[in-house]
Amino acid sequence: MDYKGDIYYIEQILAGDINCFSCIVDRHKDKAFNLAFRICGNHEEAEELAQDSFLKAYRSLKSFKMKSSFSTWLYRIVYNTTISHVRIKKKGILSLEDFPADATDFIGISTSEEEAEKEYRSSLVNFALQRINEEERGLISLYYYEEMSVEEIYVVTGITKSNIKVKLFRARQKMLEIIEKVEKKNLVYYE
Amino acid sequence: MNNQEVCKEDLLRHFISPEKIEKAPEGFTSNVMTRVHLLETSPLIPAKRPWKKNLVPAISAAVIVLLIASALLIPGSQPDSLANPALSLFKNLKFSMPAINMSSIFRFTLPSVMIYAFIGILILTLFDRALYRIFHREE
Repeated sequence: MDYKGDIYYIEQILAGDINCFSCIVDRHKDKAFNLAFRICGNHEEAEELAQDSFLKAYRSLKSFKMKSSFSTWLYRIVYNTTISHVRIKKKGILSLEDFPADATDFIGISTSEEEAEKEYRSSLVNFALQRINEEERGLISLYYYEEMSVEEIYVVTGITKSNIKVKLFRARQKMLEIIEKVEKKNLVYYE
Repeated sequence: MNNQEVCKEDLLRHFISPEKIEKAPEGFTSNVMTRVHLLETSPLIPAKRPWKKNLVPAISAAVIVLLIASALLIPGSQPDSLANPALSLFKNLKFSMPAINMSSIFRFTLPSVMIYAFIGILILTLFDRALYRIFHREE
């Protein structure tokens, strides 16, 4: 079925057809879930948080201004819901030892070597993400995974553009340092 | 952005592929819709009207203002004052309790305004408890 656009479905929902909300959920669920997951780092919690965010969005649909982008508005809800959840439930920092040895560990669960390398890189990034703070995680996720511009991130997070650039730069540095450390550790481990 | 920054950014891009996003689990949409339907079918709690929401603080504020105004406007020596019957009633009360000489316990004297302050606090506390009981019984 062709997607008729967020505004069309929102109007239908506001007119009383609540089942149209499922089309909106279907359309945005992956990105909303991904954002929640990158920030909180746990599948179960991310699912709960993404669901809560959709429910919040549904309840506040009347206050949504049709002129702006629905996805940006939804991401703002997901971002705020997840950040405040993570702040309440601060977890311990992972140690470098928590990361699986290297790419060879992923060969068994992947179909090819190339696939294994991708899996390895992806979990390495995830690991590094969990070692930076929740706000930086959110920014990295919005910038790299959701491919948002600094302007769009500003709309979602409310952080000033110059601050976003500084925080992104720091987060990037931290993550690269962590990735570097893990890779060095792996080299030592296998030498 | 300087070159070093661009270089670092590109390096991170090498690790992150946006197409590799974590997908929402199976049944996500149906779970959300179940919760939406529950929300719609659950009996609605009528929203409190603004005047009812702020009734307790409004009454409290009004009474406090009234007390302060009466303390300022009604002179104690005025013979026909409205407060006179009440004051005379208090004066005529005979307590059978033995009088305690406070000066022997505390070697200092309290300013006379403190007595009024204590009475005021006591009255407001009782008033607050009464209002609390009235409005909580309603809920």
